[in-house]
Amino acid sequence: MSESALLHFAQHRLQEAALLCMAVVYAFRIRWLLSFKDARDKQAPTGRGVVDPESGKYYSLANIAMPWAMESTRNSPFFYLQFAVFHLGVACAITLSFIIPYLPGLLELPPVVKAIQGFTAAAFVIGVGRMIRRIAVPVMRLISTPDDYFSLALLTVWFPFAFLAAPNDRGGGEGVLLTFFFLTAFFLVYVPFSKISHYLYYPFTRFWLGRTMGHRGVFPMRQPVHPR
Amino acid sequence: MSDATRSHKAKKFLERLPKKLSRQIVGSLVGCVHCGMCTQSCHYMLSNPEDPTFAPAHKADQLRKIFKRHIDWTGRVFPWWVSAKSVFTDSELEDLKDIAFGKCTNCRRCTFNCPMGVDFASANRTLRGLLVHVGVMPEGVAVVSKDQWEIGNQMGVLKEDYIETLEWMSDELSGELGDAGARIPIDVKNAAVVYSINPREVKYDPRSISDAAKIFWAARENWCMPSECWDMTNFGLFSGDDDLGGAAGRRLFEKVMELKGRKLVISECGHGYRSTRCEAQNWAGQSFPVDMESSVITMLRYIKEGRIKVDKAKNKESYTFHDSCNNARSCGLTEEPRELLNLVAPDFREMHPNRAENYCCTGGGGAMSMSEYTPRRLKSAKIKAEQLKATGATVVVTSCHNCVDGLSDLIKHYKLDMKVTQLVNLVAEALVIPAKVAAPAAGKVLALAGRTIMVVDDEPDALTFFSALLADHGARTIPVSDPNEVLKAARKEKPDLITLDISMPGKDGGEVLCELRKNPETEAIKVCVITGRPELRKLIYDRTVRPPEGYLDKPVDEAKLLTNVRKILELAHEDVPVES
Ligand code: SF4
Ligand code: SF4
Repeated sequence: MSESALLHFAQHRLQEAALLCMAVVYAFRIRWLLSFKDARDKQAPTGRGVVDPESGKYYSLANIAMPWAMESTRNSPFFYLQFAVFHLGVACAITLSFIIPYLPGLLELPPVVKAIQGFTAAAFVIGVGRMIRRIAVPVMRLISTPDDYFSLALLTVWFPFAFLAAPNDRGGGEGVLLTFFFLTAFFLVYVPFSKISHYLYYPFTRFWLGRTMGHRGVFPMRQPVHPR
Repeated sequence: MSDATRSHKAKKFLERLPKKLSRQIVGSLVGCVHCGMCTQSCHYMLSNPEDPTFAPAHKADQLRKIFKRHIDWTGRVFPWWVSAKSVFTDSELEDLKDIAFGKCTNCRRCTFNCPMGVDFASANRTLRGLLVHVGVMPEGVAVVSKDQWEIGNQMGVLKEDYIETLEWMSDELSGELGDAGARIPIDVKNAAVVYSINPREVKYDPRSISDAAKIFWAARENWCMPSECWDMTNFGLFSGDDDLGGAAGRRLFEKVMELKGRKLVISECGHGYRSTRCEAQNWAGQSFPVDMESSVITMLRYIKEGRIKVDKAKNKESYTFHDSCNNARSCGLTEEPRELLNLVAPDFREMHPNRAENYCCTGGGGAMSMSEYTPRRLKSAKIKAEQLKATGATVVVTSCHNCVDGLSDLIKHYKLDMKVTQLVNLVAEALVIPAKVAAPAAGKVLALAGRTIMVVDDEPDALTFFSALLADHGARTIPVSDPNEVLKAARKEKPDLITLDISMPGKDGGEVLCELRKNPETEAIKVCVITGRPELRKLIYDRTVRPPEGYLDKPVDEAKLLTNVRKILELAHEDVPVES
C-alpha cells in the first residue's frame, strides 16, 4: 500500500531534519565540553606495573557490559537486566525508524518484527516500573528533576508506538506510523537538551575516569575477594 | 532574590566557579542520569537509610544545580526544567559547607559504583575548594590549612620539636639495639632513601618513627629524614585548595632534590601517599624528577630481597586489613599490603568488602579535624563497625594514620573489642634482630622508677588500668577519680606528670587543666590528656593556658602509653634488662 505524503514526509524529511538538528547540537555540546581544561595526571604511573596503564581506559569503557565489575550492578542483577533491556528497547525503536523507510523488506521477516516488539514491550513495562520507582522511592523523588520525569515518560510512551509500528502494516490506517515518526522526531530534537544526552557524555566520562585509574593501577580493577 | 542582592561571598564563589572546572568535573556534572545506583554505595546512606539527603546524587546535585544555572546553557535557559539554582546568600553557602565537608568523606566509593563514570568525590573536592576560596569552611579546616601554609606541616609541629623527637627516638633505638650507630640520620646527601612522615607520628605516635628506623637499620639502608619539609601529608587534598596542595608537594620534592635523595619513601598514610605520589604534581602544574614509593612497598622489598628477616610468629593476634580509600581507590595500593601482612602475621582474615570496594574508615576527607560533624560521623560509621566486627579479628591493620584515628574512634564508640595498628609496627615487631645485639634479661631497671604520676579518670576501669600499668614500670602512682580533688592532690603530691581525662562529671579536663596552669604551685607539672572523646579536644585547646605536653586518644595500649609518658618526662630508655 502506498504511503501518504504526510507519512512520507514524517519518515524522511522530518527524520532527517531532526537528526541534523541533533547532530548540530551534539557537535556544539562536545565542543563546549572539550573547551574546559584537561586535568591529566602528570606523575609517573602507580600500580605494580603488571598491567598496561592504557588498559584502564578500555576497562572503563567496557565496564557497562561487565555487571560483575561493580558492586552496584553485581548486587542488583535484576536492576542491571532492566537497564540492559530498557536500552535495547531504545536501540530497537531507533533502528526501526531507519528500517521502515530504508529497509522495509526486513520487517517481512517475522523474527525481526518479534524481536523489536519483544524488546519494546519489555522496555515499556520497565519504563512504567521505573516511573513508579522514581515517584515512590524517597531518594529517587529527591533527586529527580522535571526533565527526568519527562524524558522517562517520553520514552515510555514511545515504546508502545514502536511496538505497534514494527509490523509496518498500514491496513488499519497510518495513525500509528505517523505518531511513531512524529514522536521519534520530537525525541531526536529533544534529546540533546535533556538528560537523555547522557549517552553522548558517557564515553567521555568513562574514558577520563579510566585514563586516570589506569594510570594509577586501579583499573582494570582487581576483583575483591568475596566471602566463601 | 536577584543578582543585585547576592552576598559578596556568593559573588566570589560564582566568579571562581568556571576557573575550577576541568573536563572531568564538567563531565561528572552533566553526566548524571539520576539513576540512583550509587545510593547504596555510600556509608552515610547505608548507616542512615531513613535520610535520603545522604544519597551521593543528591549531594552532587547541590553543586550541579549551580553549575547548570551559570555554566550549562540548558539550565541558563530553562532553569526549572533541570532544577538549576543559583546561590545568593551566606546561609546557602553554609548549607553547601555542611554537605561538602560534613556529609561526604570524598572516599570515591560512589564513583566506582556509577555506571556513567560520574566522579562525585572529585566534584565534591571542587566544591570544597570553592567554599574555602570564599572563607566558608569548618574551623578545623581553617586551622590545619593555616598550619600547613605557615609552619610547613598540618599539625603545626615546630622544627625543634621535630628534631628533638627524632633525637629521642634515636636514643631509644640505639639503647634498644645496643648499637650506638643505630640512629636516625638527618639531611644526609645522596641517601638511597629519604623518609617522609605524617606529623601525627611526631605528635602522637613516635613509635612508628622508631619502628621505621629499626627496619631501615636492620636493612642496612643508606637513608635519612629531612630536617625540614618532611611532611608528606597534604591538606590541600581535603580542603580542595590546589594552591596549598601544590605548594606542600613542591616543598617536599624540592627538599628531596636538594638532598639529592634517590628515592622518596612515604610512610603509611593514605592521603599522604595519594597527595604526594599521585596528586601534588598535578596541583603544582609541573612534574618533578623524584622517584617515590610507599613504605609498604619498601618493607616488602626488604623482605623479598632478604635484607631483613621476619618471624611472623611474633605477631600473635588475629588480624584483618582495612584498605584506605586513598590507597585503594586512588592509587591502586591493595595487594602489596596484604602480601606484607601475610609475611609478618600468621592469622590474617580478609574484611568484606575489601580492596577498592572497602568502606571508608569514616574519618577520611579531613573529617577528623571537623569536630562539629563528629556525632554524624560516628552515626554513619555503623556500617563500618559491622564490617569490622564480622571479621572476628582482634586487630585491624591499616596503612593510614588517618584511618588509625577514624577506626579507633568508631571502635570506641561501638564498643568493639579491637585494636588498630599499622604494618610498620607489625614488621618491626616481627623483625629478627641479629643475635649479637640481643641482651640477656636477668633483671630490669624500670623506666619510670623514681617518678610520680597522678592518674585522673572518672572511669574506675581506666583508673585501675593506667595506674597499674605505670606502677608496673616503676612509677609511684596517685589515682584520682574526682576532678574536684585534682588541684589539692597535685599541690600536696607534686607529681612529675598528670594523665588527665577530659570528659568527667562535675568538671571537665579543660577546667582542671586551667586550674593547674593558673596555680603557681602546679603550673609546671606536665600533663598528658587521655581521652576517649576526641571531639572534646576543643575543651583543652581552646583555653588560653599553656596546652598539655601530651595527648592520647583511647583506647591506649601499653606501648603507646609508655612511649608518650617517657617522651613527656624526657626519659631516654625503656625498661632496661641488666645482667645479674
Ligand atoms: S565520596 Fe564517599 S562519602 Fe562521598 S558521597 Fe561518595 S560514597 Fe559517600
Ligand atoms: S550512579 Fe551515577 S548516574 Fe546514577 S545517580 Fe549516581 S552519580 Fe548519577
